[in-house]
Amino acid sequence: MSNTQHTGIGRTPYFVLTGGLAIIFLFPLLWSLFASVSPQPGTGQTIGFGFGNYATMFLFGAGLPLIALNSIFVSGLTVAITLVVSALGGYAFARFKFWGSDALFLLTLSILMVPFASLIIPLYVLLNKLGLSNSLLGVSLIIAMYQLPFATFMMRISFEAIPRDLEESAMIDGCGTFSVLWRIMLPSVTPGLVTVGLFAFLAAWNEFFAPLIMLTDPNKQTLPVAMANLRQQTMGVINYGATEAGVVVMAVPCVILFLLLQRYYVRGFMSGAVKG
Amino acid sequence: MTPDVPDAHAARGGLSFFVRRQLMGFVYTIPTLVLVVLLFVTPLLLVAKMSLSSWALLTGEGAYNFPKNFVAISRNQLFWPAVWFTIEYTVVVTILLLGLGLGLAMLVQAQSRWANIMRTVFLLPVSLGLAAASLLAYGFYSPSIGPISPPLEQLGLIQGPIGFLTTSLSALMSTTFLVVWKYAGFYMLILVVGLQGIPDDLFEAASLDGASARQTFRYVTLPLLRPSLSLALILCVTGSLLAFDQFFILTKGAPDNSTVTVVQVIYREAFQRQNLGTASALSIIVLVVLVLLNALQFRFLRGSDRD
Amino acid sequence: MRLTKFTAVAAALAVLLVAAPAIAQDAVQGVDDGTQLTLWTRAATQARADQLIQAYNASHKNQVTATYVPTDDYQTKVGAAAAANGLPDLFSADVVFMPNWTSAGLFQDITDKINNMPGIDKVAQAGINVATWDGKKYGMPFVADLSVWMWNKKLFKEAGLDPEKGPTTLQEFADDARAVNKLGNGVSGTFWGGNCGGCEVFTWFPIAWADGADILNADGTESHANSDEWKAIYKVFHDLAADNITKMPETKDETGATWTSYFSKGIIGVMPMPASLTGVASDQLADADIGVTPIAGIKGGQSTFVGGDDIGISRDSKKADAAWNFLSWLQSDEAQIEVVAKNGNVLTRSDLSDNKYSSADPRLVLFNQIASKGQTPLAKNFGATFNDPQGPWLVLMRNAVFGDGSSVDADNQAMNDSLNP
Repeated sequence: MSNTQHTGIGRTPYFVLTGGLAIIFLFPLLWSLFASVSPQPGTGQTIGFGFGNYATMFLFGAGLPLIALNSIFVSGLTVAITLVVSALGGYAFARFKFWGSDALFLLTLSILMVPFASLIIPLYVLLNKLGLSNSLLGVSLIIAMYQLPFATFMMRISFEAIPRDLEESAMIDGCGTFSVLWRIMLPSVTPGLVTVGLFAFLAAWNEFFAPLIMLTDPNKQTLPVAMANLRQQTMGVINYGATEAGVVVMAVPCVILFLLLQRYYVRGFMSGAVKG
Repeated sequence: MTPDVPDAHAARGGLSFFVRRQLMGFVYTIPTLVLVVLLFVTPLLLVAKMSLSSWALLTGEGAYNFPKNFVAISRNQLFWPAVWFTIEYTVVVTILLLGLGLGLAMLVQAQSRWANIMRTVFLLPVSLGLAAASLLAYGFYSPSIGPISPPLEQLGLIQGPIGFLTTSLSALMSTTFLVVWKYAGFYMLILVVGLQGIPDDLFEAASLDGASARQTFRYVTLPLLRPSLSLALILCVTGSLLAFDQFFILTKGAPDNSTVTVVQVIYREAFQRQNLGTASALSIIVLVVLVLLNALQFRFLRGSDRD
Repeated sequence: MRLTKFTAVAAALAVLLVAAPAIAQDAVQGVDDGTQLTLWTRAATQARADQLIQAYNASHKNQVTATYVPTDDYQTKVGAAAAANGLPDLFSADVVFMPNWTSAGLFQDITDKINNMPGIDKVAQAGINVATWDGKKYGMPFVADLSVWMWNKKLFKEAGLDPEKGPTTLQEFADDARAVNKLGNGVSGTFWGGNCGGCEVFTWFPIAWADGADILNADGTESHANSDEWKAIYKVFHDLAADNITKMPETKDETGATWTSYFSKGIIGVMPMPASLTGVASDQLADADIGVTPIAGIKGGQSTFVGGDDIGISRDSKKADAAWNFLSWLQSDEAQIEVVAKNGNVLTRSDLSDNKYSSADPRLVLFNQIASKGQTPLAKNFGATFNDPQGPWLVLMRNAVFGDGSSVDADNQAMNDSLNP
């Protein structure tokens, strides 16, 4: 069935409408790229077009490579923790009925209902007591926790969409529960896993508040905090060039990942075919 | 819900099959349990505890003073305006996001190459972080370097710079535009999935019966999209009621405290006025409201679901 | 008899032994033994703090590692660390936030160390006063930001004003602005951050101080924002805004993000600015056209806002002696002249105003000299009252300057409530 029959508009208006919307959606991103290399007084690029803002950013603080590495580490760790916890949990919620499973599932979902600003102080005190306060691991754990509602929900509906015969035949063949999970179920929910991983990465890569409060070692700093430092130097005056260059640097890996993985996460959302 | 497969091993004695399955299920959720209890429930209990005593940020725990914190925060002069503003913002954003999301979903649901490209383009802003997107918007709306105000001014089409963030209405609309731009793709995705779940035969039947596009939409598409719309609605409402980052970065509550959201009040109580007691009290109030609201939404949306 | 003689000799020896370290202390304060020190400061001071820290690390065994925190979030980070006992060895504070943190006991008492430091009387007293609470001293100046009036000599000449003469009273300031404003063509007489509470704190408080008045009482518990002096100040700016002598609507909307950039564009006649020439000149504003004069009051006089950051030793630190070595070094000749003055920044030692680096430019000498004429306001709840974008000062100030000023008395009550929660 073609779009026109569903939406009731002709062919040309369709292209015009979607094309126009596409331009509106892309415009801010393209402008950001443009602004990051444009001349601005009071920035790293005052005369003519060029990469002065990026040069300023490269040398700032502990140096962009180290800071980016920290961000990559935190993001990778968050993705790993999120995937493991939500895959196991999602599988359990989808296939096993045990005492308290509904309650735990709802409790996990309720994490969405508490803003980070409310929990930050108790979390900081708690992590301090656990010896995790100035550590990238501590930050990753917090971000992973906040991903759990979406991730567990996603994995649950992904597992629920797999026909039971698959498991049953494997179990009849004598597979234990864990190898059923490892060898049969997980490969079938790859789209769901990729979706969960991608969103966890995006969340961790862009997270500002948790690293701000939890990390103090300047060599452990992550990109969002360094960008915030660079953005506002003396007298609270904003360095626009640095701001836009920062937006671009932060966005590029995300956009690339997004584009590379798009076949997966579209299918990931569909694998659950959001049922009632 | 457990498969009815007899387990040869059960005959060896020990626990019955079903009990073992229950245990197995439980074991798989242990990581979730640990993470949730340790990093969510425990701090939350501490928040509840802080709401019951006078608790200064810098000097720590004071005396038990229930219900003073709750009374004090409800009398805070920013409280009620923030509540109304947050509700107003939630309504506006939800209508726009779900409406636009649905529109985009219908436009890109086909399998054509063009539709795929469009889908990707609409999804791109989702990959930005909210903070990065807010910073982008900050520069975008700037009267000195943005791409809208200065060029129009230079071309002589307008007199003074456009104040995107100068009046409370324009600040609200500008922030709304930012949020809708950033999240429309996400909701489009949820609804595309829902749309793809509607069997084509239904559309054929409808057109055979002579239904117009509008009628098809109203009587076939919408009802069958109910589950997806419900999910989108719950996510959008909860997220908007807890809005913080975009206002913190873009407007800082300006102009004249007209764009202050409830979470901003929490943040301000904790870190500017250094009163963790009242900040925690407000957090508890917000949590209770959200739980009730979501329970209501859930029941209402599920109630007439005939799937 | 012999016992008494013995006792006398022993007493004399004891006195010598006690006095000896004190005499030797003149040379080195605190301890320099290779300790690792942690320091937090705001991104706003990063460039200058970094210069000082690098110089210290290069010439001492102790090593200081600095963590720079985004300016807007500094209070949040320190507050969270205080709640969890995770403060570093040294940390700085915007001077107006010092009373908030000294009264909460976040810094160690260093009264004796300060009192015994040689040359302490030459360090800008405003910076030490604001770090004093209940008679005890907790900090010293770190990086100084002062406020002055800067005028554009080229625009003054075009407007028929004497380009070498800056305003010496508030009225002259307004008159000069009006004269320049007549030039039109995108030029404005003046500019200020109309939606930025902290900007007016920095640039208007000295006007009252120069007149011998103040906006707060001595211990920061009472607001005089509705006094006759202040109503007169609001009126001047109200009229400037109403007559569009200041760039509108930018002035009304300026939240502090870009207020200093307008002067550099060469389109403002006279306006308050931070006391620094670094980065002010541009393609549109030649360095030779920048005139500098102290902020004056309605009746004349001179004053400045002694702002920037103070620094102290945190209550959680176990390395107080090593930390003191760093703190005292900051005020030494070597640090002040070879690092601060050499990089064109304002000194915290008034006796060194005319040093080999600044003497070439009389404007730099002026910056260094007015620090001693300035003040730093002290109030425990300063930030929540004056800097908070949702605080009462911004409301009062905007009503007085952009409204009709009728609510000033009522708004002042909100100020008092905020100063005494």
